[in-house]
Amino acid sequence: MSLVLTRIDNRLIHGQVLEAWVPFVKADCIVVANDDIAAKPLKKLMMKASVPSRMRVEIGTVAESVALLKSNQLDRCKVLLLFGTTSDAVRAYREGLAFNQLNLGNLQANKGKARLSCTLFLDPTDLDDLELLDQAGIRITSRCIPADSERFWRKLIPVYKGRV
Amino acid sequence: MCLFLYVFSIDVAGVEMIISRKTRLHIWFRLLLLQASWNFERLQGIGFFYVLLPGLRKLYSKEKLLEVSRKYTGYFNTHVYLAPMVAGAVLKLEEDQASGVADPTVEVDDFKEMVAAPYAAIGDALFWGGLRPLAAGVALFFAVKGILWAPLIFILIYNLVPTWFRTVFFVRGYRQGMESVELIQKHRLPDWAIHTKETAIVVLGGLSAFMVFTQLTQHQLPSWLGLLTLIPMVMLGLVARKGLSTLFLVFITVSCIFLIGLFWADVVYLFTSWGARE
Amino acid sequence: MAINLAFGALISLICGLDRVAILQIMISRPIVAAPLTGLLLGEPLVGLQIGVMVELLWLARLPVGAAVPPDDTQVAIASSVLAIVLGQRFNTSGIELLLLCLLIAIPLGKVGQYFDHYARQYNVRLIRYVDSALDRSSLLVAELQHLRGLTSFSLAAIGTYAVILSGGLLIIPFLWPFLQQPLSYSSAWIQLSLPLVGIAVILGTINVSRAITLFCASFCMSFLLMWLV
Repeated sequence: MSLVLTRIDNRLIHGQVLEAWVPFVKADCIVVANDDIAAKPLKKLMMKASVPSRMRVEIGTVAESVALLKSNQLDRCKVLLLFGTTSDAVRAYREGLAFNQLNLGNLQANKGKARLSCTLFLDPTDLDDLELLDQAGIRITSRCIPADSERFWRKLIPVYKGRV
Repeated sequence: MCLFLYVFSIDVAGVEMIISRKTRLHIWFRLLLLQASWNFERLQGIGFFYVLLPGLRKLYSKEKLLEVSRKYTGYFNTHVYLAPMVAGAVLKLEEDQASGVADPTVEVDDFKEMVAAPYAAIGDALFWGGLRPLAAGVALFFAVKGILWAPLIFILIYNLVPTWFRTVFFVRGYRQGMESVELIQKHRLPDWAIHTKETAIVVLGGLSAFMVFTQLTQHQLPSWLGLLTLIPMVMLGLVARKGLSTLFLVFITVSCIFLIGLFWADVVYLFTSWGARE
Repeated sequence: MAINLAFGALISLICGLDRVAILQIMISRPIVAAPLTGLLLGEPLVGLQIGVMVELLWLARLPVGAAVPPDDTQVAIASSVLAIVLGQRFNTSGIELLLLCLLIAIPLGKVGQYFDHYARQYNVRLIRYVDSALDRSSLLVAELQHLRGLTSFSLAAIGTYAVILSGGLLIIPFLWPFLQQPLSYSSAWIQLSLPLVGIAVILGTINVSRAITLFCASFCMSFLLMWLV
C-alpha cells in the first residue's frame, strides 16, 4: 500500500478532495478515519454516494481505519487518507500508523479558535497536536488545493501569536 | 421560464402545504443570491439563512423564529446548483417539525450538515469539472469560426442542466424532504460526471484539431505538420499535472513562439538579401 | 474614450458578480463576457477573439469550496476594452495589439485573486452584524446584512478591472512601438497557442484516468477526418 496523501479536512470528502487532489496524487482509494461518520450509517452512505463508483471508499472509526491501513487489504491501492481533526491524526499516529507528510486543508471556525490562514482555524490544543506530530518527523504543510502554494505550518504561527 | 412556472404549479394532491406557492417562489429567487455574503468563516452560512427566512416566517413566530434563525446562520457550504434541493428538503423538515408531524428528535440541522459536503462534491464534479469544459468546447467551435452567436450557444448549452437542478430538484426536495437524498443516490451522478468529463475531453480534442487544421490551411502549410502539436501539448499537460501554474506555462509558450518568430524572420531576411546579392 | 471605459466597468460589475455572488448563469465566463464588452463598444469580433483565447486558460481552476481561482472574467473584459480603445488611438485593427493587451492583462489579473480573497475576508465581519442583529431580535437587519456582501464583491470586481485597465493604459502605449513589428511575425501562432495551452492544462488536471490518451485519440481522429474531407 502506498499512502499518497494524508489530509486534515473537517469536511472530509468534498469537491477539493475529489476534483483537485485525487487527480493530482492519482489516488484510487479514499480512506476516511472519523468516529462521528462511522457511527451514522446515513451520513456514511451519502458520503459514499458522492464518489464515482470506480474509486474505492472506506469509511471507519480512527481505530478501524488504522487497522485497515496496516493490514494488507489495500496493498495494491494508492490511498488518500482523510482525518476530520488534528486529534484524530495524533490518535492514528499513536496507534502506529506510519505517515511522513500531513496536509492541512480546511479546519472550520469554532469559538475560541484563531485563524491561521483563510480556511484554517486552530486552537491551542490543535497546535499542541501538530507540534507533537512535527516532533515525530512528519512534514506538516498547509495547502487547500494543489494549485495553491504549499506553506510550512510553522510559518503561519507568528500570525497566530500576534493575534492572541 | 415556462419550466419553473409549470414546476411550481404542481402541488401534491392530498398533502397540505403550509408554505404557499408564492413563498416558495420567493425562496427560489432568493436562492439566486445565495452566495452574496460568501465568507471564509461560515461560507454560505448567512446566505442560507437569508434564503430560508421567508419560509421560516410562515412557520414560526417571535422567540421561536429567532431561535430557529440562529440555527441557520451557522457554517454551511454546498454547490450552488444543489443548494435549492437542500433548501427545499430543509423547508419540508421544518414544516413537519412546526406542525408536530415529525419526530422532534430528528435534527434538521443534522440533515443539512449531512448532505452539504457530498452534494458539494457531486456538484463540483458534474458542473464545474464536467459540464463547463464541455459547453465551452462546443461553443468555441462556433467562436473560432467567427460566429457571433457563440456566447449565446454557450449560455444555452451550459444552463440547461443547472436550471433543471435548480427548479425541479427544489420542488422535489420540498415534496420529499429527507427522502430527496435517494434521488441523488439513485441517479449515480458521480459516474455521470466522469462521462461528462470524458465527452468534454473528446470535444476539446476535436476542437484543438480543428483550430490547428484551420490555421495550417490558412498559411498553406502541409497539414500533417498539425500532428506535431500533440507533442508540446502532451508535454505541457504533464508539466501542468506537476502543479505548475497556467501563468508560467503561458509565459514560457508565448516567449518561445515569439523568439522562434523573430529567429525565422531573420533567417528569411538573410536568405532574401543573400538571394538579392546573387 | 471615457464612455467606453464606463461601459466596460458596467459589464465588469455585472459579470463580476455572476462569478460568485449572484446568479451563476456563467455570463462571467470570458467567452460570454468579452464578446458582450465588444458588442457594447461596437467591435464584437475583437471581444470574440479575446474570449476564445482566455476562455480555456483557467477553465481547469475550479471554484471548489474555499479555493479562489484567478479572475479570468476581468482579464477578458479589461483586455477587450484596452484592445478596442487603444486600437482606435493607434488606428490599427490587427491581432498584434489584441495580443499585447491580453499578455499585459493576464499577469495583472493575478490582482483579481487578491481582491476576491479580500472581499471574502471582509465579509467575515457581516457574521458579527448578523449575530448581534439577531440578539436584538431584528430579523430585517439580519437579512439585509446578507446583501451588504454584494458591495465587497462589486468593489473587488471593479477594482480588478480598474487595476488591469490603468496598468494596460500605462504600459501598452510605451511598448507598442517596439513590439508591433516583432509580434507580427508570430502573432497568428501565439493566438493559436493560448487556447491550446489552456486545453493542455485541463488535460493535466482533470479527474479522468488516461485523459491524455483519450485526447490524443480524439485529436488524431478529427485531424484525419478533416484531412479526408
